[in-house]
Amino acid sequence: MTTLTPTPPGTRARPALVLPAKPSSWRRLTATIVVTVIVIVAFWSVDITWARLGSLPGEIVRYLWLMFAAPNWDKIGEALLQTWRSVEMAWVGTVIGLVISLPLSFLAARGFAPAPARGVLRLLFSVIRAVPEIIIAIAILSVTGLTPLTGALALAVNSVGTLGKWGYEAIEGVDPGPIEAVRAAGGSTPEVIRWGVWPQAMPDFVSFWLYRFEINVRASSILGLIGVGGIGDMLTSYTQYREWSTVGMLLLVVVVVTMSIDAVSGALRRRITEGASVRELDR
Amino acid sequence: MSTLAPLVLPPKPRGRWKPWLGLAVVLLITAVTLSPQWGIAFSFEAIVKNWQNGADKVLALLQPDWSFFPRTIPPLVETLQMAVIATFVGAVVSLPLSLWAARLTNPNRYTRGLLKTVLNAVRSIPDLLYASVLVAMVGVGALPGIIALVLFNVGIIVKMVSESIEVNDAGPLEAGRAAGGTQLQINRAIALTDAWPAFVNQTLYVLELNVRASTVLGLVGAGGLGLLIDAVRTFYRYDQLSLIILEILVVVVVIDTVSASIRKRLV
Repeated sequence: MTTLTPTPPGTRARPALVLPAKPSSWRRLTATIVVTVIVIVAFWSVDITWARLGSLPGEIVRYLWLMFAAPNWDKIGEALLQTWRSVEMAWVGTVIGLVISLPLSFLAARGFAPAPARGVLRLLFSVIRAVPEIIIAIAILSVTGLTPLTGALALAVNSVGTLGKWGYEAIEGVDPGPIEAVRAAGGSTPEVIRWGVWPQAMPDFVSFWLYRFEINVRASSILGLIGVGGIGDMLTSYTQYREWSTVGMLLLVVVVVTMSIDAVSGALRRRITEGASVRELDR
Repeated sequence: MSTLAPLVLPPKPRGRWKPWLGLAVVLLITAVTLSPQWGIAFSFEAIVKNWQNGADKVLALLQPDWSFFPRTIPPLVETLQMAVIATFVGAVVSLPLSLWAARLTNPNRYTRGLLKTVLNAVRSIPDLLYASVLVAMVGVGALPGIIALVLFNVGIIVKMVSESIEVNDAGPLEAGRAAGGTQLQINRAIALTDAWPAFVNQTLYVLELNVRASTVLGLVGAGGLGLLIDAVRTFYRYDQLSLIILEILVVVVVIDTVSASIRKRLV
């Protein structure tokens, strides 16, 4: 008969700690190596005199001081006028863009047009989105001249690319129930669009338009660089004259105007997509 | 015995005039912006008049000058170099700033608000405006282009990544705090791991934007294909311009496809 002797504490064999196998990391390793090589090659081959980097921070601080220590407010009137012109370009570009893109996005959505039309339109949208608006402006300016109209048209073309894509995605994303209900009640395609799709997709569409307007406001100030007018035009001239205090004022105007338009448009978008706040509904 | 209850229609929803009011406001603003006096003077007349002398140039867009191809290679390479370097530097700068800008990883309301305000201002200036000012500061070349792109990238990456940190699960961070970690340790060990996919995703997205943007930065003298675009446009060589546009299209589409497929596997 054996006596059960309690094992003294600490000596009992614990099950060995088995760690789960490490996730295979060769993929991550290859990715790291590829990225590192690309970055090193880019740094090594680019044509920059890196010695200049040393004096760069000092230079930039000096220029920032020149620009913003005492912005020159004499030209504020003209600056606001040119800003208004830029915003007009953005507005007209957005309106033309939405008028063209609205029917096109229905034609590009599944269920409303034959497949070939869909493919062609989607290709067109992605080609347009790949080309920067300033290049579109250069391409059409020989016909339309160096006027704000050119800027507006370039923005309109570019807007069709993005609005068309967002539009057909929104249309395809709506709940099919109401569409089937309209079909079952004998509705024609226009009636399906009006009563099945539009009530659901409208908030998305309006918020896309507003968002694209915000993008266009930014882009319209860029378009001034090729001479179609607006705040960008004025900014390039004063940069070339090296009138830094005026440049500083112009940059401040761009920042304030862009941020205010973003704020207003953002608030509108939230109101449209999320509905009224509880407090407003109480009234 | 039962009588049919009379059909009571629910009242029409109120506020049906609101969309019409919106439409009226939009039409009014559009009318003002199109008027010759206040606005940009939309006139078909001018287009028709210009059509004759402009049409052959637009036609030239349809006939790319393939012999121009060898000369476009070095600027194209420079464009890609600028995009890669700017993405890298932008990403490196953005990572700590994203942790700084998110509520979960930086509880201090004031430093967070300060950073967000600065970045909002930085984001509201388009890359080409930065480039045109920077070219006047540091001279023509790839350097001002890269700095402009970095500014633009930091604004985007920090906003997107810090927002994705905020929606991440706060549980692991609280666990880290309960285990006695300092904010720095928590950020490094937990928040960073959680934010990593979002960060890589945004970085790739920014690379796509950079390729697109760097093709035109040269228009203001900041290196890359844009310099060439500026040269051919002053001579109205629209056949050469069309070749450059084609190249931009190909490069942008290739980069977008590659990056989109990587991003899809990531998330």
